[in-house]
Amino acid sequence: MSVPPAARISLKVEFSGGLELLFSNERTHKLSVPATVPKSYGDASGETKPADITFLVHHLRDNHLKERVELFMENATVRPGILVLVNDTDWELEGEGDYVLKDGDEIVFISTLHGG
Amino acid sequence: MTSCGNPASEQDALMQRRTKFDKTRLCWKCREKVGNVVIRHAVYCRECFFPIITTKFKRALEPFINPGNETRRQGLKPAGNLCVAFSAGLGSTVLLDLISRLYFSAETGGWTGRGGTDHPRNAPVWKKTTICYVETSSALPGTRDRTEDVRAVVAQYAGFASFVPLRLEDAFDDAWWGKVGGRPPPSHVSVDLADEELLLAQKLSASDTPVVALRAYLAAMPTQTAIPSAIQNLIRLLLLHTAWATESSHLLLGTSLTSLSVSLISSISQGGGFVVREEAQEEWQPTVYSGSKRNVRVTRPMRDIGMKECAIWAWWHKLTVVGKENYLGGKQGIGTLTKSFIVGLERDYPSTVSTIVRTCAKLAPKNVADGRCVLCGRPAQPDVQAWKARISIRAFDEQGDVPPHRTLAPDPAPDERTRETHEDAAMPPRVGLTPHLCYACHTTLTSRSSRGSAAASTQVGATPLPVWVESGLEMLDGGGSGQEKWNKRKMGESEMKEAIAEFLLPKEDA
Repeated sequence: MSVPPAARISLKVEFSGGLELLFSNERTHKLSVPATVPKSYGDASGETKPADITFLVHHLRDNHLKERVELFMENATVRPGILVLVNDTDWELEGEGDYVLKDGDEIVFISTLHGG
Repeated sequence: MTSCGNPASEQDALMQRRTKFDKTRLCWKCREKVGNVVIRHAVYCRECFFPIITTKFKRALEPFINPGNETRRQGLKPAGNLCVAFSAGLGSTVLLDLISRLYFSAETGGWTGRGGTDHPRNAPVWKKTTICYVETSSALPGTRDRTEDVRAVVAQYAGFASFVPLRLEDAFDDAWWGKVGGRPPPSHVSVDLADEELLLAQKLSASDTPVVALRAYLAAMPTQTAIPSAIQNLIRLLLLHTAWATESSHLLLGTSLTSLSVSLISSISQGGGFVVREEAQEEWQPTVYSGSKRNVRVTRPMRDIGMKECAIWAWWHKLTVVGKENYLGGKQGIGTLTKSFIVGLERDYPSTVSTIVRTCAKLAPKNVADGRCVLCGRPAQPDVQAWKARISIRAFDEQGDVPPHRTLAPDPAPDERTRETHEDAAMPPRVGLTPHLCYACHTTLTSRSSRGSAAASTQVGATPLPVWVESGLEMLDGGGSGQEKWNKRKMGESEMKEAIAEFLLPKEDA
C-alpha cells in the first residue's frame, strides 16, 4: 500500500566539495520522502519513527548514489570528513542523525576531504 | 542482552550520548544569537564565525611577515614578494580568498576600509603576488589535467596576482631549471636504488623526456608510501624554487590544522622527526645561494583553522573548490592511514587534532643539523648512516666476523661493486648519494616493504634524479672545477682575535 501524499515531506538536498560526483554530478536534488519510516532501515515489519537524517542518508545511498558508497557512508552514518548542514546550521547542533526532517528542509552534505 | 543476563537493564546500560557542544546553543561570542556551527565544542553564529576565522588567520601569518624577528608594531614590511601555493583543494581555496579579502581588497574593488583606496594604509603588503599551481596528472595515471579549471578560479584574483602553472615533470626538466635560475648540468646522473649506498652513475639515456624521467623516478620507489612522499617532495621543491625565482620572501601554503596534523604524524612515522619544526614552518634558500641574506619563509597561515571551518567558510562565501587528486597512495600507505585516522579523530574528539600540532610545535631536535639534504633541501641529521647501522638488523660486516656459510662464496666487497658500476658507466669514482641525504629521504628511497617491493627490479638500476639534486651534488664537490670549499666552525675568542690581530687598532690610553 502506498503512503498517502500528506504523509510525505519535501526536501532540498545539496552536495558540495566533490560529493556531487558520487550523485550523478548533480549538486541539487529535490526529494520527497515518507514522513514515517521503519525504526531499522529496510525493516518494514517492525516499529516506525519519524523520518530523520539517518534515514535520509540510507535513502540517498540506495536511491541516488551512483558509485563508491565507502566515500559517502561509514558505520550507518556519513563518513568522517563529511559536514552536514541542516537549514544552514551544523547538524551537530541539531542532534546529528536523530534530527527529525521537516517539510521544506534544506540539507547540505559537504566533503572536506579535498585536501589543502 | 547485557552481560549480567537481565534484559530489563539494557536501557540503563547505555551511556548517555554527549552533545558535541558545551552547554547552550547560543553563540559563545555574542551570547545573543542562536549558533550555526560548532568548532571544537564552541558554538558560533554565522556573524561571529567570519571574524573568528580572520583573527586566527592574521594571528598565524602577520607575526612572520616582517623579516627576522621584527615586531608587528613596525608595520607589515616584507622583504620581498608573495608566492601563494594553490593545490585546488579546500584549504588553498580558502587561503586565496582570505589573502584577497584581507590584503588586496583595494585591487579587487572590494575595499570598504578607512582612508580610500589610495591611502598609504591601504597599499598592498606585498608588491607582487604569484599564485603557483603544480599539475600532477602526469604522475597519476587515469587522472585529468585540472590546469584550465584552476586558471579559471585564479582569474578572479588577476587584479593582484599572476598565475604560474607548473607540472610535476618540471622537476626533471632542464628548461624549467634554467628558468628558475638553476644551471643545467652538462650531463645527467642516475642512481641505483637497489643499493643502499645509492651509487651514482652516468645516465645512459639522455633523451628521456621529463615525463618519462618522472615516471621512471616514481616507478622505482620501493613502497606504496614512498610514492606519495616523493610526489609531495617534488611539489614542495618546485614551489620553493618558483618562490625564489619570483623574489618572494614568503611562500604561503593552504595547510589547514587537520592537514598539518596529518603531515606531522605522517612525516614523523616516515623518519622525518628531525625536521618536525620545518614541517610547520621553515626558512629556505637554494643550495647554490646558501649563506645568502635572502631566503623564502614558508608559512602556513591556515594552521589554526580546521577542515570543517574551511568547508563552512567556502560554503558560506560560495567559493568554487576545483578539488585535487588524491595521491596519498594505496589504502595501506602511511599517508592514507594517517589521514583516515586524523579525520576520524577530528569528528569524535575535535580538540585532539589541535593538540597534535601544539605538541609538535614544542619538539626540537637534539643535535644541530649537518648541512642540508640534496633531495628535499631540509636540514640533515649528522651521522645518519652510523646511527642507522646501530639500530638496524643488517647482514654481517664483510670486514668483521663472517659466518661460515658465507666464507665459500663471498659477495664482492662494497668498494669493488662501486668500481664495477663506475667502470661500466664510465663514471668518475664518485661517492653514492647516501651521505648527502637526510634520514627520511634515504628511508624513502631504500626502505623496502616486508610484503615485497612496489617497484619492478629492472627499474631501480638507473633511476633519474630531480634537477636540483645534481646541482646540490656539484656544490658539495666544490663545483668540480677547483672552486674554494668553505667549512664553518665555531672559533674561540682568543683564536678569533689572533686571526684578525693585524687589523685591530691599538687600544688608546684614556
